[in-house]
Amino acid sequence: MGSLSNDKPHNDGLPERRTSADRRDSARRPPRWATWLMSRFSPAGLEDELQGDLLEMYAYWVKTNGVRAARWRYGLATLRLIRPFTPSIPKQTCYYSQPSSFHPAMLRNYLKIALRQWRKNKLYSAINMLGLSIGLATCLLISLFVFDEFSYDRYNRDADRIVRVVLRGTLNGEQIREANVMAPVAQTLQDRFPEIQSTTRLRSIGTPTITYGDKIFRDTQFAFADSTLLHVFTLPLLKGDAQRALARPNTLIISQQAAKKIFGTIDPMGKVVALFDNKTLYTITGVMANVPPNSHFHFDGFASMTSLAEANSSNWLQSNFFTYLLLAEGRDYRQLEAKLGPVVETHMLPPLEKLLGVSRSAFRQKGTNLGLFLQPLTDVHLYSDLKPETELEPGGDIRYVYLFGAIALFMLLLACINFMNLSTAGATKRAREVGIRKVLGSERNKLIAQFLAESSLLTSLSLILAVGLTWALLPFFNTESGKELNLNLGQMPCLVPAFVLVGILVSGLAGSYPAFFLSSFKPIVVLKGSNTPMGRGSIGLRSSLVVFQFFISISLMIGTMVVYRQLHYIQSTKLGYDKDQVMVLEGTRVLGKNETLFARQLAQDSRVSKVSVSGFLPNNRYQTGLIAMQPEGQEAKLTRLAYFGIDDQYIPTLNMTLAVGRNFSAAFPSDSSGVIINQTAARLFGWTKNVLGRTLTNPALPANGGKGKTYRVIGVVNDFHFRSLHEQIAPLVMVLGDNSGSIVVKFRAKEVTPLLASLQRQWNGYGTGEPFTYSFLDEIYQSMHQSELRTGHLLLWFAGLTIFIACLGLFGLATFTAEQRTKEIGVRKVLGASVGSIVSLLSKDFLKLVFLALVIASPVGWYAMSRWLQNFAYKINLEWWVFVLAGLLAVGVTLLTVSYQSIKAALVNPVKSLRSE
Amino acid sequence: MKRAFLGELEEIVLLTVAALQEGAYCASITQTIDQQMGRSISFPTVHTTLQRLQEKGFVASQMGGATAERGGRQKRLFTVTVAGQRALIECRQVRVYLWEQIPTPILNLWGA
Repeated sequence: MGSLSNDKPHNDGLPERRTSADRRDSARRPPRWATWLMSRFSPAGLEDELQGDLLEMYAYWVKTNGVRAARWRYGLATLRLIRPFTPSIPKQTCYYSQPSSFHPAMLRNYLKIALRQWRKNKLYSAINMLGLSIGLATCLLISLFVFDEFSYDRYNRDADRIVRVVLRGTLNGEQIREANVMAPVAQTLQDRFPEIQSTTRLRSIGTPTITYGDKIFRDTQFAFADSTLLHVFTLPLLKGDAQRALARPNTLIISQQAAKKIFGTIDPMGKVVALFDNKTLYTITGVMANVPPNSHFHFDGFASMTSLAEANSSNWLQSNFFTYLLLAEGRDYRQLEAKLGPVVETHMLPPLEKLLGVSRSAFRQKGTNLGLFLQPLTDVHLYSDLKPETELEPGGDIRYVYLFGAIALFMLLLACINFMNLSTAGATKRAREVGIRKVLGSERNKLIAQFLAESSLLTSLSLILAVGLTWALLPFFNTESGKELNLNLGQMPCLVPAFVLVGILVSGLAGSYPAFFLSSFKPIVVLKGSNTPMGRGSIGLRSSLVVFQFFISISLMIGTMVVYRQLHYIQSTKLGYDKDQVMVLEGTRVLGKNETLFARQLAQDSRVSKVSVSGFLPNNRYQTGLIAMQPEGQEAKLTRLAYFGIDDQYIPTLNMTLAVGRNFSAAFPSDSSGVIINQTAARLFGWTKNVLGRTLTNPALPANGGKGKTYRVIGVVNDFHFRSLHEQIAPLVMVLGDNSGSIVVKFRAKEVTPLLASLQRQWNGYGTGEPFTYSFLDEIYQSMHQSELRTGHLLLWFAGLTIFIACLGLFGLATFTAEQRTKEIGVRKVLGASVGSIVSLLSKDFLKLVFLALVIASPVGWYAMSRWLQNFAYKINLEWWVFVLAGLLAVGVTLLTVSYQSIKAALVNPVKSLRSE
Repeated sequence: MKRAFLGELEEIVLLTVAALQEGAYCASITQTIDQQMGRSISFPTVHTTLQRLQEKGFVASQMGGATAERGGRQKRLFTVTVAGQRALIECRQVRVYLWEQIPTPILNLWGA
């Protein structure tokens, strides 16, 4: 050992000096890496003894076991002795045992302290709890909404294997995005691709009349469906045989609900009902469970597709059939989609060439290109890019789902921020308590546990309150959002752990900062009597939290105002026609020749001013015809145009105006080959002057020696919106005739009910057996913008709630500030400050924060809302005063909230505030 | 305070501390056990055992005795506390009591 010790420098910690000195007999030194490790990572307080002991041990090992073994043992021992494998200095001996933080006695103590705190600070606890439960309830409601949106069509067992065939492309430069395809597509694809396990088609037939015995029903939705429907979709049959239910022609399966409505308690199986009219009879071969609410279709019954002649059509140009494919297990729909090109080439393009009269390369050049694509079933509701009017039902919008999801999250965050703000602001009050506790031997983690216990207790109470609130608000929310949500814990067992998780998350989020902040107070500082143990840091944090809250509220306020302005614009913009006091009598086609007669008869009524017959109406619910025409001078170009078949009363009934020319008139027999175009069409054709007398040719009509029918322009109607305001006004032609479908009645009566009764009497007089159905044009228009209306309403509510929560927090903060500055205010008053100056002194700080929030929120709101407005072809401008108004509102609300406390503080007699202590 | 339990290893280390008296520090204890008991206990194990004994209050420690062999670094010298003494005595009493219960003929038979 002696020889070793001689060449060792005595007291140095510098490894490089030692290694240079030791190089001579390096084989007999302990491994250098281990020495270095020991010098760097030795547990605190043990450096000296461990390094010294290890050196001694090394010498001992070398003597007893040899150098190799010694180096090996030295390395191993070092690894075990460095941090973190060996603790630092041994803990101090504790003669008094500390109970665990989760000891029942401790838990009872936490509870007791929490209850006492609440009783002492009733106002703040109430503010906290109210804010948290409103935040949680909103969050819960929106989560239900979001989950419902995402659950669409997932009830199908094979939901992830079902795809829908859709049509996308361009036709003469116009976008085609249709949810339904042609009749032969399903069979062709099935024959060609073995990976398709099954296909099924749906052909919606709306709400036809059903006659059973002497009872007539007209509010059940029906569709024709292939017999494979029940293979592809999971719609369990309660009665009947799923294999054969829809196989034979003229068979029908109905939902349980429809069965109850039509048949009551009688067993519907085998019963015969008449669909459409009294001639076509259908036998009921099955009763299915109701289609779940989260489905992209809600039919009350399906008739066998074999009853429909059109289903066997080989027409590749008429798309009417919603076509679904069930893919074999493990097949990717994208691979199949890539193989659809040749199908389109061989089947769809030849008839298209024939129709357009040019070769495929020619029309491709002109911007015509159609293709079949696949859309996963689970994307239908939220991610569909297809035209809504071609869908079975209006779908959802993933952007709104994200928007509401974000709002839910923000609400929760705001409530948590309130909690943090109020707890840290109230820290002065509890600083002494923390000090005393620490002096009496409480450890920091016990204090943290106590504060966390308080916050989680408050959170769980709020959670219970929130569930109650949600339950109470659900019916209201359902009407606002148009959903059928319910809060049924039995149906959704995953909700209970979700609640617990949310509770833990919120109490952690809201409670952890105050817990760590409060428990960090140093007893000496706190107990010395200095009133403000908090540094600038916590004030900075609180201010930024307030800014964040108001940033969210102001952004939402801006959003709501813009949405409402756009809604107002939608309501009040000049549509180019009159939608008020106009009634539409539907399904008048059944009158046949009597349709016009009925219209004339209606016009006799003194309460009716004008009547027109036309199946074409300016909104999305009614069809807009499409027609391909060749304008004069551009014969080579076949232009796709919107098409209305009208009569001579149409334009005056809807109060449209003509830019030039005249309306159709019975006085001119030649008007049967006349046409009225809209201004957009005139511009498209480049007809700036001398429009009247120009011609349009429809080559599809057999006339003029095969060249097609030629129409002469007799008038140009001022542009009117015949679609929703999302879409640009398209070029339109209106021709006389081909107008059967519905009757448009402009009435002057204020009381509609007696007029309706009289109309119904007259309708029944024709004895068609069809029920009398009508709607109002302004209501149809309203329904076209339903999703915006809904969003607007919901946004208004949410904006209101966020502001409310933010104000709750602000109110609490203002109260604390006022309390903290009681003495200062007293002194100021004694020195002659006025009430006004004190109020402004107290409010100024908060107003600054709100201004800052406004500055941040304005560009964000501007960006988001201009993106939203891009959805509309016709929209408002984003004006500066919206932002100013939002700011003023925020400032006003802040002032109202803060001023109550500041005025109260300013009015206190200084004698009272200065006397204490 | 609960009666602290003395494990077998702890007992051996504690006895060694008592045996070495002034010269009881981690390295010497390890070497003593290694030499006298023919039982190889690793150095880190002895170190942690000593720490545990100190936590339980059976040994006390102080720094001192820097020698050239150890690069001039100080040792942590351990002494047995009163509690440690009591624990050891109790330990021995239990063993003696158990030994005494073994009948003498049998002990003779073992050759003990």
